[in-house]
Order: sequence, then C-alpha cells, then structure tokens
Amino acid sequence: MIARAAAIAGIGATEFSKDSGRSELRLAVEAVRAALDDAGLQPRDVDGLVTFTMDDNAEIAVAREIGAGELTFLSRIGYGGGAACAVVQQAVLAVAGGIAETVVCYRALNERSGRRFGQATMAPGIDASWHYPMGLATPAAMVAMVAQRYLHDFGATTDDFGRVTVAARRYAATNPAAWFHGRPITLDDHRASRWIAEPLRLLDCCQESDGAVALVVTSAERARDLRRPPAVVCAAAQGSGSDQFVMTSYYRDEVAALPEMGAVARQLWRQSGFGPADVRTAVLYDHFTPYVLMQLEELGFCGRGEARHLIAEERLPINPNGGQLGEAYIHGMNGIAEAVRQVRGTAANQVPGDGPVLVTAGTGVPTSGLILSAA
Amino acid sequence: MSETIEEAAERIAAAGASPARPARDPVNRPAIRDWLAAIGDRNPVYERDGVAPPAMVQVWTMRGLRPDQEDELDPLRAMSAVLDDAGYGSVVATDCGQTYHRYLREGETVAVSSRLTAVAGPKRTALGEGWFVTTESTWSVDGEPVAEMRFRVLKYRPSATPATPKSEPIRPVIGPDTAFFWAGVEAGELRIQRCGECGNLRHPPGPACPRCGALKPEYAVASGAGRIHSFVVHHHPPLPGRRSPVVVALVDLDEGVRMVGELRGVRPGEVRIGAEVRADFADGLPVWRPAELVVLPPWELAVTPTVVISTALATRDFQDVHHDRDAAVRRGGKDIFLNILTTTGLVQRYVTDWAGPEATVRGVEIRLGAPCHPYDTLTFSGSARGGEVAVTGRTRTAEHVSGTVRLAP
Repeated sequence: MIARAAAIAGIGATEFSKDSGRSELRLAVEAVRAALDDAGLQPRDVDGLVTFTMDDNAEIAVAREIGAGELTFLSRIGYGGGAACAVVQQAVLAVAGGIAETVVCYRALNERSGRRFGQATMAPGIDASWHYPMGLATPAAMVAMVAQRYLHDFGATTDDFGRVTVAARRYAATNPAAWFHGRPITLDDHRASRWIAEPLRLLDCCQESDGAVALVVTSAERARDLRRPPAVVCAAAQGSGSDQFVMTSYYRDEVAALPEMGAVARQLWRQSGFGPADVRTAVLYDHFTPYVLMQLEELGFCGRGEARHLIAEERLPINPNGGQLGEAYIHGMNGIAEAVRQVRGTAANQVPGDGPVLVTAGTGVPTSGLILSAA
Repeated sequence: MSETIEEAAERIAAAGASPARPARDPVNRPAIRDWLAAIGDRNPVYERDGVAPPAMVQVWTMRGLRPDQEDELDPLRAMSAVLDDAGYGSVVATDCGQTYHRYLREGETVAVSSRLTAVAGPKRTALGEGWFVTTESTWSVDGEPVAEMRFRVLKYRPSATPATPKSEPIRPVIGPDTAFFWAGVEAGELRIQRCGECGNLRHPPGPACPRCGALKPEYAVASGAGRIHSFVVHHHPPLPGRRSPVVVALVDLDEGVRMVGELRGVRPGEVRIGAEVRADFADGLPVWRPAELVVLPPWELAVTPTVVISTALATRDFQDVHHDRDAAVRRGGKDIFLNILTTTGLVQRYVTDWAGPEATVRGVEIRLGAPCHPYDTLTFSGSARGGEVAVTGRTRTAEHVSGTVRLAP
C-alpha cells in the first residue's frame, strides 16, 4: 500500500513564456534546483530522477548539471501528458519500496519556441497511420472527434466548452505566474475565436508554452522535518482503458468517454479513502476544454453528460491557477505544483478549506492522477 | 499625386462597367478545333451543332499576342497598372466562376464588359505579399448576355525568401500486420481484418485476435456502406499537401467496425452524425462520400510541355510564363505552368466526358491551388449530386484545382 507513504516536499519552476531563450536542459536544471531549494535539500541528496518519455533531457544530463551523485532510480513514463501524475507515482513507488530516498520528477520543454505539438508535422507510426493521413494529424483534431460525439450524445453545446475556458482565464487573471495574468475573457470572446477543428475553437485549446517544473518526492515521515509543510500523496494511480489508442480511442462502444480516467478514479478513491464530495479543489488536465467536462464525469463528481451543469453552477473550484488554458502548458506538471500550493495554503487563488486536492494528467491517452493532502 | 491603392480601387470600381469590347474574331471552327485538340476533348457535339465549348467563352475576347491598343478602360488592366506601380508586379489567377446562359454559335461576335468589384490586401501569401483583385465580366451577343464570370487574380511581389518547402501529404506507415489493408486500397477494396479462427471482425487490425487469441489474421471485403458516428472539420494548422477545411469522419461500417477517413463531396456545414456514406478511394487512402453521391471515374492527364504550351496558345493566352521556361523561372516559378483558362477547360472536359455529349454545362466554378507544371500527372476526381459535380484535380503532391460544374437538368 503506497497511500500516505510519501509526500511532495518541494516544488520548483522556471518562468512560463513563449520563448525561454535557453535550452530545455537549462530549464530543467533551473526548475530542479528551485525545487530542491524549496524543500531545503541539496543536489547531493537526490538519488532518483523521473521524467516523461517525451522529455528530451536525459536523467544523467540533469544529474550531471545539478551536481548530483550516484542515482539508484531512473524511470520514464510514456504517453505524453498522461505521464504527469504517473512520474510522481513512480517516485512514490521508489520511496515506499526503499529503492530511493529523494526522487526528483521534472519536465522541461520549449514547446512554443521549439517543437510545437499542435503542428501537423509528426511522422505517423502504424497506429497513427489510421488517422494522420486521413486528416487527423493534430491533437486538437483528434479530440474534436470525441467532442463532436459528446455534443451529440448529451445535448451539450460549444458554449459548455467555452465556460471551461472562461473560468480558467478568470483564475489566470489573478495569478501573477500565469501567462494570461490580467487578461480575463468572456463567453463572447470564446464564441468569436476562430475554428481550429470544429467543434473546437482556438480558445478551447490550451496554450503553447516554454518552461519547466520539478517536484521533490521523499517519504512522508522525512518530509515533515523539511523546510515546507508536506503535501502527502494520499493516492497515486495510472490507468489505461480497454482498446486504448493514443488520442484516438474511437473503436470502443462509447467514443465520448474516458474509461482510462475511470480506472484512475476508482484507484484514487480506494487508496485515499476519500470521495468526490471531500475534494476541496481539482486541478484537471485541460489541454482541450471538452476533456475537463468528461473527466468530471469519469471522476464521479457528476453523472455522465452532466458536467456542464456542474461547470455552469461553479459547484467545484477547478484549476485555480488558471490551468494550462490560462497559466501555462507544462504537460500537466504545473498543475501538480498548483495542487501542492493549495495543500500548503500558498496559492495565488487559494481555495479555502482543508479537504484534499485532486490532480489529473493528460486525457485521451493512458493517464494518471494524484490526491494530495496536508496529512 | 500619391493616390493609395485603396483610393485607386475605389475610383476604378466607381467607374462601373467598361464599355463592351468586341472580340477580334467571331466564334469560329478553326479556333474551336485547336482548343478541342489541345484540351483533348473529343466531344462531337460542338462540330455537329456548330457551337463552341462553353469554357471557351473567355478565349474569344483574349487580346492576342499583339493587342491593337492599350485598353485603359478595362478595370483589371487599370487596377493592375496601379499595383504594378506599387511594386506588385507579378500576377497569378486564383479563382474563376463562369455561368453560361447558352452556348455560343459559330459566326457570332461576342463583346465583353467588366467591372471591378473588390480589391483586398495587402495579404501575405505563399507567393509573397499581394492584393486580390476581383472583377465581374459579362459577355453579350448583340446586347444579349450569354455568359458571366467572376475572376480573381493575385497581384503580388514575389517573396525574396524561397517559398516554404513543398509539403508532401502524410503517408501511412505500412507494416506486416497492416499491409493487407493498404493492398486492398490499391485494389479498390475496403478490407476488414477477420480472424481466421473465430471470424471476429476488427479495425484497426493487429497480429492477434483479441477475442480468441488466434494468430491467424485474414480479411473480409467490406460493402463500403456505413453511417457517420462522429466527424471533425479541420481548419488549422495547415495539413501538409492539403487545403483546409478538411472534413474527417469516423464511420460505423455496416459490418460493425469503425474506420476513419476524409469525407469528400459534402459542404462542412451539411455533415450530420448518422448520415449514410459510401467508401471510395483517393490518393491511396480510403475516403467517404455521401451515399447519394455518384462518383466519377478518375482521369489522369500526363502534363507535358506540349500540353502546357498548346493549351496556352489555344486559349489565346500569350503570357510568357505559359510557354517560355526561362521567363517562368526568372519570375520565380520552377517551370512554365498551366493557365487558368486551360484548367477551366480541363474541368469542363472531365465532366462532359462523364456526362455525355448531350449534357449542357451551365457553369464552371474553380479555385486554383498549387501550379501544375510539365511532367506533373494531373489526376481529376469528382462526384455528382443532382446537377452539381464537384471536381478536384491533384498533382502527386498537391491540389491544383477544386471546383464545381453545374449541368442543366
């Protein structure tokens, strides 16, 4: 049982920009150093490093640059942003299993000034050959197929997608670290934004960002003696659905569903002993607005097709940092840092209360989730 | 002195329609025969009935190699002169929509009158910064309007940096477990993997049967009939070698599997979940078409220098970029290229070849994409619904033309 065995003891990040002007490795080093400082630890304390398979910075390069010593745990998780919470799970497993004591999770990318994920430039593999050549060559288009069916199945409208982004931008407007700080939008702005892949508009798509985030994971017991109050990992889960594809799981009975997130949700509630009603705020992976609605349903905050009412009535504070729509797109890792701040009580838009904080990773792919709490 | 481009456009547009300018020669059989030969159109109806191919209408009033005099009253010429002076010296036609009230008869003399309807710019284009100039023309015989045309050209300043490298459409990666499917596409069959043990149908395919575990993949040939389960209208960013918007549909095949393909022959706003489609094949991929569509057989034209030059001359278009390779290269092209009158003619021929000699063409509307050069193979495909035939002409790497031909009921 890994519940409450480990904690996030430090968080660090670079600034979030559209052109960092420096290498991804340097961004990684800056974020890792900041996270270690935050925890009150030294590079020599690090014995484990975890990142995404999509990250271009080798663990050994990061270790060299920060001046770490020997490592006993190196790991990577695949499937793009679906890895975000799973890298923390890897760290928790290593700490709980006695493999490593101080594991740093990092993600550094020049996604705006370097390789942009939204361009139709990827060479397909065998699976993608059923989609890219036919015109589904961008994440937005792949999500749009699911979104269109969601509208059809549940009678939702594109305004329901728009309300997600309006809420995110309202939070970002009061978060000084957010790219869209001071720039809220209205539902009419969403309606007027151009089509990217119908039914998705530009303002349904998250930003493209340069930046890095790092997280320091150690045992819950040790974390209590460090500089910051610990964010205890009450649950950490990964999930993949049956007949799973990357962004194109179109061959299941239900297209407008995220069973992989359902698999994550069941584990999170079971491990933590919490339920949806306990959650103070949720940081939900928001690369595209429709998946915020669908995640709320899979996580059990409401029934299938009902998330639009939950959003419209603002029953749950979602993505108080502004999310990836408003703060930055650091592949979900900035969402985990926000969850830690919410637990600590130091967030720019602090949600009152002492309930646990839920955070999820990239959707439409094998994904992951965490529940963090002060104890 | 310094009139802006916008002010010049307003002045020229305000002048209205130019006086009708008669063609140099009456509609005549030798010119018709040259045009038919160059386009390769064997439709016997023109000689039999003594009429001209409808797409020739613009040919009659082309100015020829040595125009008698400059026609300052022609609004396109006047606007072009303004843009030449402003540094936008190059020109390419982009759109042409022609409506034919009737076919012209041999011996008739047509006259053309044009007016400027829009000038939009400056726009950044793949060719360079430029202005789109739209004119509307009417051809008449003794005051009787016989045809109309909306014509759009881009007047541009060639960009100093070479155009972005030509993007090739994304091709599928084919492996041992999926080769049967792509061989089917080549053979004009939509193949679905079928387990050789339990008969389970499955798409996308793989080496093992997820139901019974057998490693014995075979295939069935789908009927091609299905219904739209969901769809996407892709707008942005540009897809390599494609022109947006692209409609992509996820289809429930009658056999019980789902498959993704481009949906062609339908306007994006008309797509509905549940609509019936039929499978077809284009550009080495399976595509969907609305079930009520009739698909035209494709036509391949090997474009040679002779094709480019003979059609330019037969359409009486003596611009050097259509017959002089050195001049075309000097102006930033890679070689001579087909002129828009020819593309219009080829589209008309493709549809009348299919519709038969008794079909009457009421209009041709085309939009040009990438230029078509010698040694390109131009492949036309089309689909008809009612009297409207949607036509696309592609080279191996890019779309050259898309458009619609309207036939009389």
